[in-house]
Amino acid sequence: MTRIPLRPLARILDARRRGQNPDAIERENRRLRHEHLRDQQRRVAESRLVVLSLLFVAGFLTIGARMAVLASTEPSEPASVAASASIAAQRADILDRKGRILATNLATNALYAQPPIMVDPDGAARALARIFPDLDAQTLAKRFKSGRKFIWIRKKLSPEQQQAVHDIGEPGLLFAPREMRLYPNGRLAAHVLGGTGFGREGVHAAELVGRAGVEKAFDGFLRDPANGGRPLQLSIDLSIQSTVRRVLDGGMRLLNARGAAAVVMDARTGEIVALASLPDFDPNDRPAPPTGGDPADSPLFNRAVQGVYELGSTFKTFTIAQALELGLVTPATEIDTKGPLRWGRFRIRDFHDLGPKLSVTDVLVKSSNIGTARIAQLIGAERQKSFLRQLGLLDPAPVELAEAPSAHPLYPSNWSEISTMTISYGHGLSTSPLHLAAAYATIVNGGHKVRPTLVLGGGRRDGERLISAETSRQLRKMLAEVVTRGTATFAQVPGYPIGGKTGTADKPNPKGGYYKDKVIATFAGAFPASDPKYVVVVTLDEPVETSGPKPRRTAGWTAVPVAAEIVRRIAPLLGVRPVIEQGGAPALTLTGN
Amino acid sequence: MSYLEYTVKRVPTGLSKVLYLNWALVLLVTAVASVGFLMLYSVAGGRLDVWAEPQMKRFAVGLVVMFAVGLTPVWFWRSLSGLGYLVSLILLVAVDLFGVASMGAQRWLDLGFMRLQPSELAKIALIMALAAYYDWLPPERISRPLWVLVPVVLVVVPALLVLKQPDLGTALLLVLGGGAVMFAAGVHWGYFAAVIASGAGLVGAVLSSRGTDWQLLKDYQYRRIDVFLDPSSDPLGAGYNITQAKIALGSGGWTGKGFMQGTQTRLNFLPEKHTDFIFTTLAEEFGFIGAASLLALYLLIVLFCLASAMRNRDRYGALLTYGLSANFFLYFAVNMAMVMGLAPVVGVPLPLVSYGGSAMLVLMLGFGLVQSAHVHRPR
Repeated sequence: MTRIPLRPLARILDARRRGQNPDAIERENRRLRHEHLRDQQRRVAESRLVVLSLLFVAGFLTIGARMAVLASTEPSEPASVAASASIAAQRADILDRKGRILATNLATNALYAQPPIMVDPDGAARALARIFPDLDAQTLAKRFKSGRKFIWIRKKLSPEQQQAVHDIGEPGLLFAPREMRLYPNGRLAAHVLGGTGFGREGVHAAELVGRAGVEKAFDGFLRDPANGGRPLQLSIDLSIQSTVRRVLDGGMRLLNARGAAAVVMDARTGEIVALASLPDFDPNDRPAPPTGGDPADSPLFNRAVQGVYELGSTFKTFTIAQALELGLVTPATEIDTKGPLRWGRFRIRDFHDLGPKLSVTDVLVKSSNIGTARIAQLIGAERQKSFLRQLGLLDPAPVELAEAPSAHPLYPSNWSEISTMTISYGHGLSTSPLHLAAAYATIVNGGHKVRPTLVLGGGRRDGERLISAETSRQLRKMLAEVVTRGTATFAQVPGYPIGGKTGTADKPNPKGGYYKDKVIATFAGAFPASDPKYVVVVTLDEPVETSGPKPRRTAGWTAVPVAAEIVRRIAPLLGVRPVIEQGGAPALTLTGN
Repeated sequence: MSYLEYTVKRVPTGLSKVLYLNWALVLLVTAVASVGFLMLYSVAGGRLDVWAEPQMKRFAVGLVVMFAVGLTPVWFWRSLSGLGYLVSLILLVAVDLFGVASMGAQRWLDLGFMRLQPSELAKIALIMALAAYYDWLPPERISRPLWVLVPVVLVVVPALLVLKQPDLGTALLLVLGGGAVMFAAGVHWGYFAAVIASGAGLVGAVLSSRGTDWQLLKDYQYRRIDVFLDPSSDPLGAGYNITQAKIALGSGGWTGKGFMQGTQTRLNFLPEKHTDFIFTTLAEEFGFIGAASLLALYLLIVLFCLASAMRNRDRYGALLTYGLSANFFLYFAVNMAMVMGLAPVVGVPLPLVSYGGSAMLVLMLGFGLVQSAHVHRPR
């Protein structure tokens, strides 16, 4: 850059020579220099303005282009819808055998706080305490100010609560979408369904994980997206389940029992139509597992599946079935029932003295321990053990419940002759009511082995044959006689003949020996007696019937009436045709006169 | 010393000034504001009294302010520049001490008759101060480090005060607007290159420090960055506004759904639908054509201001006009970019359209200054 000299010597000397004021030259040059500078500045300023104008225009073009891109995209509402879809309907529904919903999902929200972005932690804490009375404003405010960055406040919100929280207007209170498992029938099939809990939990979603029952047993299936939300259909019938549970609950209260269990099973397929255990719980609000005490006292305990009990005289059926099958006896064979039967230091008695001799049929009908033990002696330990194992009574029940595999039947490791004799009438061997139901189904359905199942269509007809059809027929006849003239006369239901067997077992005392006044009363039956379609097992824990002069605890007075009431109510629902009693004056004729 | 000498005699005086106003600019500003009235009417569900009517009243007041400021000689405003800057600083401190908190930030001063947002005023005061500074500064000193430091301090002090409110958006606009004036004044480009390079370095450092021992930001701040970069990662949380706005823009398509037919905005999917996110209503109801038309109006306003600045041989007037148009451009560019997911949500309203009194009045004051520089330019 050339600077214009202010006082160029040549021009100044020249001016002086001519007598002019040289300051005029300086002024002129100063002005020129000034103009030069100004032009330079203007050039810089203009180029800068052009550069910035170009930047502006580039900004406009970027925005315009973005606008065009957005305008040309389909308004597919991409992210939010996709995200909520992936949250909801993740876990498949569970239906009963008629397609009614047992378990489904509900979209809800969890509430959490992010204290770093909270505007008014104290105000928010007070407002929250107003919405949720069980929260304390001061503790909450302390937590908000504890320096933590993330705090869960509520795991589930109702829509009203969510709106109320929303209305607080606190930006630090945030909602996390949740999928909630809903059991619309509440306690009805609590132990079958089990329940769910949250697994991995995040802000955007939480995994629902099966905690018990079929929810846990089928956790993989229910969560598998490959199934496309295909529901799981159980063999449970909601109406039957409801009736069974109600009758059982009534019976349990009436008889002051600690607990009760009932199983209704299709005698041919092994499909479980109803399975109830009391006390129960609401799977929507599954209680925490007990930390102390006997787990069997918890409502979470499934007495029908997890509870293994000595089921008493109901086992006599198996002993007699095996003896008939082996051809050791016929129904008419006379058995020595003179008591007491001594074996080493043990003595086997009957509840009443039944006389010196009974036919095999009467051994069952009158429930003679001595007679059954004598028959068992004919069978022998090895054959008895293998038959009971074939019936599935010595292994965990293969039913689709998370709890089933751990419910091992209890039996003596040394299967001695005295064990053979006690087990023959149901002492010394503990199984669950479900085991009993499956074994009874096998005995009465013509001899085909039954595998219990909770899944509709999961059972198999005509399984492995364990006893002959003839033996099965003889047993059905005997079981019917138990009801008509034996220990289970309260099981006579007009129109629905039942065949079954009672069992009353003293409860083992944890300190050793047995309680004298605490029993497990069981009735295992099938109806209709001549061609059984369904098996019913009812078990009551410590029932007492107090209407008589002294308390009665035997199954005939406790479990049998409850079972009869169940059959009376469910048989019509199951579509079993009543048998019209013959004889007597016909009150009504179909044709009319 | 102002190095531009011009004859004041040739500047219009008296009422004749009205003829020399930049009437095209007045027309454009009115047009944009009218678009705003229309949108506020629509967003309120076809009601005037909710937002549109108060906004019209404010615009009327704003027009009066604009004319009053525009007809006052520009050298009067130049002499007020330093004082105005000091007053705006005092107001910014005052808002920190006595301000009213709203929406999680303390930005407002309650003056009794209106609520003033001093940060808005600070933008104009800063531009005036910088223009006056470069008008006063001999040109050979412009790029000397010490003389560059002075305007940097002028910019940084109000920016920090605004940042403390906290209002990141306005602080950024202050820095960018001040930087634009300095660039136009001819500060050596090396300074800008250095600032941009160090800024990029800082961003790089912040991002690369994540998860290391010397992490520079808090975790939740990083999450916000994540959400900006990918709003779909948290569509129901922080990314909600952006996602919904994008849906609105997308559902508007090319021609829009028609006036008062926008569902996305009318059904309350969008928060701030009458303030920062009002552009989505326009885009949904009038589509790309409507949105691009508004964009064109804005472009025309900026171009008219720039043309006026180019023709102005008065350094103060030129820099002032230029700075104000840059401010206006940044204002709506940031808003639109934010709505369209090109920039993070920083809470900048759409100038002249968004509902809000303080912003409207300050904008009209700015256009008044542009008019004043335009009327009183040397000819």
